[in-house]
Amino acid sequence: MAEPAATLRESPAPAGDAVTARPARPPTPSPATGVRGRQQSALGRLRGDIDPKLRTGLSVLGLVLLIGGWQLLAGRSSSTLLPTPLETWNGGVDLYRGGELVGDITASSQRVAIGYGMSLVIGIVLGVLIGSFRSVEALTTSPIGFLRYIPASALGSLFLLWLGIDEAPKIALIVVGTVFYNILMIADVAAGVPRQLVNAAYTLGAGRWRVLRQVVLPHSVPGIIDVARINLAAAWLMLVVSELLAAESGLALRIFSLYRARNVEGMFALLIIFGIIGAVSDIALRALRRRTSSWADA
Amino acid sequence: MSGALTVEGVTKVFARTRRTGEVVALDGIDLHVDPGELVCIVGASGCGKSTLLNIAGGLDTATAGAVRVDGERVVGPGPDRGMVFQAYSLYPWKSVADNIAFGLRIARWPAPRRDERVRELLGIMGLTEWAGHRPGQLSGGMRQRVAIARALAPEPDVLLLDEPFGALDAQTKRAMQDFLLQVQSRTATTILMVTHDVAEAVYLSQRVYVFSARPGRVADEVIIPFGPQRGTTVQRDPRFLDLRDEIEDLLHPTRAPV
Repeated sequence: MAEPAATLRESPAPAGDAVTARPARPPTPSPATGVRGRQQSALGRLRGDIDPKLRTGLSVLGLVLLIGGWQLLAGRSSSTLLPTPLETWNGGVDLYRGGELVGDITASSQRVAIGYGMSLVIGIVLGVLIGSFRSVEALTTSPIGFLRYIPASALGSLFLLWLGIDEAPKIALIVVGTVFYNILMIADVAAGVPRQLVNAAYTLGAGRWRVLRQVVLPHSVPGIIDVARINLAAAWLMLVVSELLAAESGLALRIFSLYRARNVEGMFALLIIFGIIGAVSDIALRALRRRTSSWADA
Repeated sequence: MSGALTVEGVTKVFARTRRTGEVVALDGIDLHVDPGELVCIVGASGCGKSTLLNIAGGLDTATAGAVRVDGERVVGPGPDRGMVFQAYSLYPWKSVADNIAFGLRIARWPAPRRDERVRELLGIMGLTEWAGHRPGQLSGGMRQRVAIARALAPEPDVLLLDEPFGALDAQTKRAMQDFLLQVQSRTATTILMVTHDVAEAVYLSQRVYVFSARPGRVADEVIIPFGPQRGTTVQRDPRFLDLRDEIEDLLHPTRAPV
């Protein structure tokens, strides 16, 4: 391998070659105080590591900036349509005293938990099969490719006709609105299991179901958790659609009824609660990933 | 003693694709590995040597011909033929001990016997202190030792090694080669190993098959006359260099006369 390179270097360059024509740079002795290279700060370095304390500080700063910016914006405008953080807090307290808030949070969270849970189970089963078997992939590619482009939100009224007005249509809407993302993304995760791991299991005597259970599935766990985190936002989106169709309780329904009452502080408080629920579930899923999949970060 | 591996007229043709024509990867390969023997296949990349190993392991099928172990035809993968790949074949979420036990659990070894076998292999491999670690915490050489231990655990008749030391640095590679010789003298397992490192093949094998590329054919069979005891004396033996040069010349005929 090294031989052609050596010959190239040794062969005399043709006359007039740009490289040889350039006068050799005179050796400039750098003074002893000189430095080489461009210094990089930890903060500005791409993919550089930063101090954990600094990291925490920056996270807090981000939150402070968000609330501060909101305060600044709301404090300057005299409009009652944009409440300040404090007014929002008070609006939230009023809602809590009104007695419906906890029930709303429970109702909405329950719908998302059941619907998204079902969607994940379907997504894991079908996704792992699609990612593992070319035959299943070939069989499902066109139906899924077609079905996933039907906007799930447009199915709401149909689900009301089919499933009544109770919980079933709402849960169905959450399932349909997230399941295709889950299937396709988990299929990608499962297809990413290195072939060597699968082959090694075969040569140790494993059958294909064992390979699925003991190789493909465990290797996919961190990826599946990541997919679950990403698509959870879509589940909440579908929840809002479902509660606007027909509901007796729920956060999205409450926002709509507060809108009719022009209670902007209350509406804001509910939006913040959506954000907090989302952030908490995100933290929980991240912790789950750390607990189950420390091997994947090594 | 069991573990006689024979390859009879194995041909592998890859079907035509849009970009390439029909590719004959292997063309009528005949070879054999006797029980307890260590045989290497050397060849340039693209000579189909890994394909042949996969066919012997049952991971790929031959277009024509057959591979037999003790006269029985290979139709699929099985724990009687342990395989070790170049790298990245350990289960990163399992500990070293659980990786080694993987095949034993499949074969339903009773727990006490299984634990004893794992302990025995950890000892042979010098990995006892690492039993509870995950592969990600090990060096490349240690990982390959785990992979070899995992393949050896269910007591295979034949061990198939696909460039197992190809990704290791020179020093680790040397240590692993001596280690493999040691393991083989202790277990008397039949070993067929693929490598592109000619010196490695001469150092380890009793015989070397030299493959030519496109289509892959057995160009020559070279008998290595050194006894079971190998070491620096073998590498300094003038015959060692002669054999290495002879095989290198077979691999690169145009480069031969200097």
